[in-house]
Amino acid sequence: MENDGRRKFLGVCLAGATTVAVAAAAYPVLQYLAPRSGAQGADKLVFATTDIPEGEAKFFEYAGAAAVLVKTKSGNIAALSAVCTHLGCIVQWEKDKQDFICPCHGGLYSAEGAVTGGPPPKPLAKIPVSVAEGKITVG
Amino acid sequence: MALLKRVYDWIDLRIGAREIVKKELTGYLLPRNINEWYSLGSVLMVIFALQVLTGMLLMVYYVPDAEKAFRSVTFVMNELPYGWLIRLCHAVGSNMMVAVLILHMLSTLMMGSYKSPRELNWVSGFTLFALVQGISLTGYLLPWSQLSFWATTVATNSANAIPVVGPYLVEFLRGGKLVGPPTLGRFFAVHVAVLPVVIAAVIGAHLFLLKRTGISTPPFGSLETKKPWRPDSYSYQHHPGGIPFFPNYALQDLTSICVYFAIFLAVVFFLPNMLFTPDAFVPANAFKTPAHIKPEWYFLANYQTLKIFPSELLGLSIQAAAMTFLALLPFIDRSPERHPLKRPVFLACAIGGILLWIGLSVWGHFS
Repeated sequence: MENDGRRKFLGVCLAGATTVAVAAAAYPVLQYLAPRSGAQGADKLVFATTDIPEGEAKFFEYAGAAAVLVKTKSGNIAALSAVCTHLGCIVQWEKDKQDFICPCHGGLYSAEGAVTGGPPPKPLAKIPVSVAEGKITVG
Repeated sequence: MALLKRVYDWIDLRIGAREIVKKELTGYLLPRNINEWYSLGSVLMVIFALQVLTGMLLMVYYVPDAEKAFRSVTFVMNELPYGWLIRLCHAVGSNMMVAVLILHMLSTLMMGSYKSPRELNWVSGFTLFALVQGISLTGYLLPWSQLSFWATTVATNSANAIPVVGPYLVEFLRGGKLVGPPTLGRFFAVHVAVLPVVIAAVIGAHLFLLKRTGISTPPFGSLETKKPWRPDSYSYQHHPGGIPFFPNYALQDLTSICVYFAIFLAVVFFLPNMLFTPDAFVPANAFKTPAHIKPEWYFLANYQTLKIFPSELLGLSIQAAAMTFLALLPFIDRSPERHPLKRPVFLACAIGGILLWIGLSVWGHFS
């Protein structure tokens, strides 16, 4: 009985030490592989108003994802996420129709990002945008 | 525990796991006088596994492009969390692998375990030694530092001394007249795709040979009846009355692995720059050869030999002859006696050879 108790105690100690050793080895590996914080690009982006002609869209990277700045023919400016809310493809600007189409499954969005057709469940996410002194500030 | 037993029973019913465990672990008997030197093979397998693991992790961020390689290594070392740890484990581990491999070979030499019927074990082990040196050499270039660039220039240039094919061989190895971006591509492919697979395959062959021949009995304090091997038919060397591999010798393996890790981690944490000269921290410059460029410690004897002999061909030939002699040792030294003290000629040659190798390495280091 005494030997059994000692054996069990040593077994528990060994299992505990092994767990600690595995955790100590796994922690740096997970930290090493984890996506880096702060690698998402600038919080604010500035464009000249002349960068985007009326009726056109400009794609860029914002906060680590694709985004689009659109200036409609009526002069409205909107900054939107360019990631389709259906399955994550990047939407394309249709200049002639003044809307967005997702080439993957035909999702349609208005120039303001509202769903106008197809399978997308939600509108395109809006990004804060302001216009002042000939500059468009996104973010 | 009950759940684990049920899972084990379930597997056992299907593949006969208990039978395998009995045959390969608890019923696998080893000589009673087996010593700790026999555990170096297990240590080497752990080192190889760790090299593969850290190598895979480094490949996540390393860019095998001459323009970006040095920066990607600097990024891993200085900016990634624990990147320094992964890289140092890989760099120190490669040196440790050569060191432990040399110890493993020395113990085999001293205990005469290379002799009949284990000639193929020795030859496969020697092949592994050459392959490990090859994987270390190809990995040395990858950081694309001044040290790696010029050490590779000198190492590949040695092949120039081979008559007729030498210059073509150098160009083939480098992928051009000089070490450059094509060399990096070649060495990277060989280092990460070719040699690890070949080494794993030869380790498999080495273990297969070990299992088929049976483990040798140490020549010291033998408790078994000595039965000389007879070359007329195949026979597995049993060790009746021996100790089981599991748990007895597995514990010795574990102890040796722990001792190895203590030494290995002491170097990683307390002497991280022991293996790096200042040239290792400067990006490669093809127009500026640094002064006193030296190879890794295990190539220092080869380096010094090439410096001593006026003819490069003579220096290379002597090295090739020494390596060939070692590789074919079981076919040259055919006496059945395995105790080192009862083999005075062998012992004198072995000690002389080791001292010569150490002497040349020290000379190479300070020359």
